[in-house]
Amino acid sequence: MLPRPRGVLLTSWLLGGVLLVFIVVPLARLIGSQSAGSLMRVAARPDVRQAILLSLEAALLATCVAAVIGVPLAYALARAEFPGKGIVGAIVDIPLAVPHTVAGIALLFVFGRRGIFGGFADRWLDLRFWGTIAGIVVAMLFVSAPYAVNAARIGFEAVDPRLEKVARTIGMGPWRVLWTITLPLAWRGIATGLTLTYARAISEFAAVVILVYYPMTAPVKIYELFLRFGLNRAAGMATLLLAITLVLLILFRYVAYGQKKATGYGR
Amino acid sequence: MTQATTAVEGVSLRLGGFSLRDIDLTVAPGQILVILGPNGAGKSVTLETIAGFHRPKAGRIVIGGRDVTDLPPERRRVGLLFQNFGLFPHLTVAANIVLGLRAGRKPAMRPHDPALAPLLARFHIDHLADRLPEDLSPGEKQRTALARALAMQPDLFMFDEPFSALDAQSRETLREELRAFLRETRIPAIFVTHDQADAAMLADRLAIMNHGAIVQEGPAADLFKAPANVFVADFVGIDNRLPGRVIGRAGDRWRIDVGGRLLLARDDRFAGETDANVFVCIRGEDVVLRGAGITECGNAATNRLTMRVVGVSGLGAFRKVALDGDFSLVAYLTRRDTEKLGLAPGNDTIVEIDPEAIHLLTDSGGNTIQWSRPDASTRA
Repeated sequence: MLPRPRGVLLTSWLLGGVLLVFIVVPLARLIGSQSAGSLMRVAARPDVRQAILLSLEAALLATCVAAVIGVPLAYALARAEFPGKGIVGAIVDIPLAVPHTVAGIALLFVFGRRGIFGGFADRWLDLRFWGTIAGIVVAMLFVSAPYAVNAARIGFEAVDPRLEKVARTIGMGPWRVLWTITLPLAWRGIATGLTLTYARAISEFAAVVILVYYPMTAPVKIYELFLRFGLNRAAGMATLLLAITLVLLILFRYVAYGQKKATGYGR
Repeated sequence: MTQATTAVEGVSLRLGGFSLRDIDLTVAPGQILVILGPNGAGKSVTLETIAGFHRPKAGRIVIGGRDVTDLPPERRRVGLLFQNFGLFPHLTVAANIVLGLRAGRKPAMRPHDPALAPLLARFHIDHLADRLPEDLSPGEKQRTALARALAMQPDLFMFDEPFSALDAQSRETLREELRAFLRETRIPAIFVTHDQADAAMLADRLAIMNHGAIVQEGPAADLFKAPANVFVADFVGIDNRLPGRVIGRAGDRWRIDVGGRLLLARDDRFAGETDANVFVCIRGEDVVLRGAGITECGNAATNRLTMRVVGVSGLGAFRKVALDGDFSLVAYLTRRDTEKLGLAPGNDTIVEIDPEAIHLLTDSGGNTIQWSRPDASTRA
């Protein structure tokens, strides 16, 4: 074994440590600023509770939609070779690069009162995207779906296509191969993608606030508290939201990575 | 054919920039056909076409007497094993095999099919039923994969370089196991590899492939002894391929000038003429060394010459002896013989080559492949 390149590692840790401190310190300060009592008082407010629940619910819906329409796209991108594949991949990444206020305004042109789909849905489907959870879901989906597609794509790409071929030769049709072999093997990538999607959806502010101001999601509510009552009030709710999302993320990670056990099926 | 045939008949295929041209192969029950060729020759594509993953543009594929050309892979009954044997890493040994048992049937989610236990026992993997593939040795993986494939009662086994990630020792053991298994079941098998040791150990029939076409196909012993052209000769590991010129004929022997020395060759398949440039092919094990003590006497019908040892290499049971004289030669001897004959660099030795052991190839200029099939187009 060669000795570790100490100098390189040391420099990496020193520089990387700055980033870790930069992430942890503000969040720790935020949590430290709140007493248990003040947190309870914030949590007791019905408007705060409603906003947080709305965020969790809308993000869950957005994640489900991303799973239903994003994971298949990821599969197609991982398995099919076609001209323009690079362009399709780039389209998926656009929401990552577009400022989210811009995303919100663009979405208004489609889902707004006079938007090409918004008007149609209002008239024929009795579905409105303004002032409803549907609008929140749409805004969240737009900004968070790339995470689902990209991570799931990596998951699918990591599945050796030859395993799928072997599965076919031992008598499984293409759909059964997908369910029995491909999806279980790509599961980690998919789960990572959906976790990121969910986290990103909860945290979305700009696109949501432009498309749907009311009912307020948690980030919007925090912003409102900040503007109306100042830092302290806002910090209370922010701490609450932070705690909830952290717990959820840890839970998801556990589900996705924790069980590295056999799934010999039927047992 | 007395029994159900398995054959690829005139299959052509275009796949992006790659194409298979007029592939003809036959395997009889109990036989192993090895397809040998360099990377990119089209070996794997050929297997995938037989398994049903590519639709040929022309030709027919018959497996176990059934024309399967239009059937999807799941209905062809082909057991496929590739590198690392292709076990499903998220399923236990038992679950892997049960998938094979359910081939073509409705997926009844019973992990312990009554047919499972006998299969596990037959392959000596009963104690591994609940293990995941990552916890298995290469041998156990191979047995599991064979059990899984056998479970669906295949009419043909196909192997795509299954040993390529293994060390030499496991490779040899697994080859022997595999060979015994295939002999016993008498299910025909096609084995794709670029390793001539695989070919030498396993092949009943051998097909050499290059640039999407079969260069030569036939009984393995024939190809090893009498390759049809330079490409095949190099690929089946002919150790000595010496440029020479035909001087004439004496009875059933050809007189060949190699580096100023006269060699006699008996090769009834050779159809050359005087002054033709040829390659003289001699396998290393056919170069017989007599040591220095023996004078040149006796049988004038054999080739006998004095050469100098320039190198001895190898550590196992065999030694590779490099010789030099009017031309260079490589000989293979056992370690014992090498020591007994006192073969060391700098020593002279008598070399004998039986004219029957010499195979002549027309030198068609450079590495151009001379197709064994007259109707096949020449390489682009």
